[in-house]
Amino acid sequence: MRGKCWLIVVGLVLVASVAMAASVKVVTQQAAIRQDKRFFAPVVATVPYGGVMQTLAREGDWLRVQYGGAQGWIHVSAVEEQKLELSSLMKAKARETSQDEVALAGKGFTPEVEKAFRAKNPQMKYDLVDRIETYRVPQEDLQVFVKDGWLREPGGAS
Amino acid sequence: MTRHWSPLAAAMLGLLFLIGCATMVEMGTTAGYEAGVITKQEKEYYDRRALETESAVRPMNDREEYYVGRAVAATVLGSYRLYQDDRLTRYVNEVGQAVALSSDRPLTYRGYHFAVLDSDEVNALACPGGTILITRGMINRARNEEELAAILAHEVAHVNHKDGVNAIQRSRWVQAAASLGADAARQLGRGELDELASLFEGSVGDVVKTLVVNGYSRTQELAADRSAMIFMARVGYDPNALTDYLGRLAKEQGAGAHEGFFATHPGMAARLTEAQAFVSANNRWQRVNHQLRDQRFAAYRR
Repeated sequence: MRGKCWLIVVGLVLVASVAMAASVKVVTQQAAIRQDKRFFAPVVATVPYGGVMQTLAREGDWLRVQYGGAQGWIHVSAVEEQKLELSSLMKAKARETSQDEVALAGKGFTPEVEKAFRAKNPQMKYDLVDRIETYRVPQEDLQVFVKDGWLREPGGAS
Repeated sequence: MTRHWSPLAAAMLGLLFLIGCATMVEMGTTAGYEAGVITKQEKEYYDRRALETESAVRPMNDREEYYVGRAVAATVLGSYRLYQDDRLTRYVNEVGQAVALSSDRPLTYRGYHFAVLDSDEVNALACPGGTILITRGMINRARNEEELAAILAHEVAHVNHKDGVNAIQRSRWVQAAASLGADAARQLGRGELDELASLFEGSVGDVVKTLVVNGYSRTQELAADRSAMIFMARVGYDPNALTDYLGRLAKEQGAGAHEGFFATHPGMAARLTEAQAFVSANNRWQRVNHQLRDQRFAAYRR
């Protein structure tokens, strides 16, 4: 009898593992899903921080994902395995889990912590940091730069 | 009376503890409790241990690293002027993006940004999360685009390896990530936010001190050199440029240079030897023809 119960437990855990492995969450401010597994491939969808998508396959450092109606490739460094997805498997627990999620979001170094830190240190050069963060190279320009310099397209082959 | 776990079940739970997933441990204990295999107290004990294990080892996430990096950059920019030359800044960003996208961690919370500091001193600093600051003095010592790529790839490697945030005292981070009880954290009170801001300030101080005063360990520098050469080779830059550049810096240091970079990077000669050994071990890295890139570098050099 006890053996059967544990078979159920093991089964549940396995189902949960598969469900977890099958979805990822965006850890960057925004992440691009691309048509092909290359940084210069056209963008088919943009996913915000925390956005969850289903993974369909993995090739090297690229994941084939489904997000809403869009399918494409996302680089592994933009995502992490989704853990809280389990709440949907445990409906009775869903409410509790979402509260945990809020609790976790309140810890660590959040935007609110930066705000409090800046209020204490108004002399800090955050204006310059904001300016530096506007230094972006448009994808098309970087493509030209790489081609003109006889370099290889980054993140393509491996 | 306490019931005993079957060996398989215990092994499963042990594995879940090891991979640090409290939610999955909770699923297992819930099923175990409902099936009458464990008591409520046992279930609570295992759930709590799993949560503690998970929170104690939670690494800093990309967004948190980004906020630390912003504060580090804001601190460093208090001692340097930002060099306002759009053409040069753009060029440095193009070279930097080419190597960053070829690195092992091409995407970070807000990506990589490269800024030039208006100083003749030789220095380059990688702020956590991907903001990289490089002095005019450091750029002016580069003889070609390959060498500029080598410096930037080395800094990108420090971001890849999280060397900056790893300089934060562990006790601070453990406190910041886990000190607040789950109930209290739902809505942060003034006192809790102040406590977190202090821990944040201390953490930023740890990173700045390492970047500006103490420098990284020799092991971290060697690892960054090796990764830099690998990133360069991936995108088509000549990895030998790193040893060329280091060779000249080692010479300057030998002749008595001791400010900025030279203060935080003692023992350049030994580092050069190690980097050269790494190049020899990778004899597929032949010298490459980079005439086209040399030409455009010359056009940007003042």
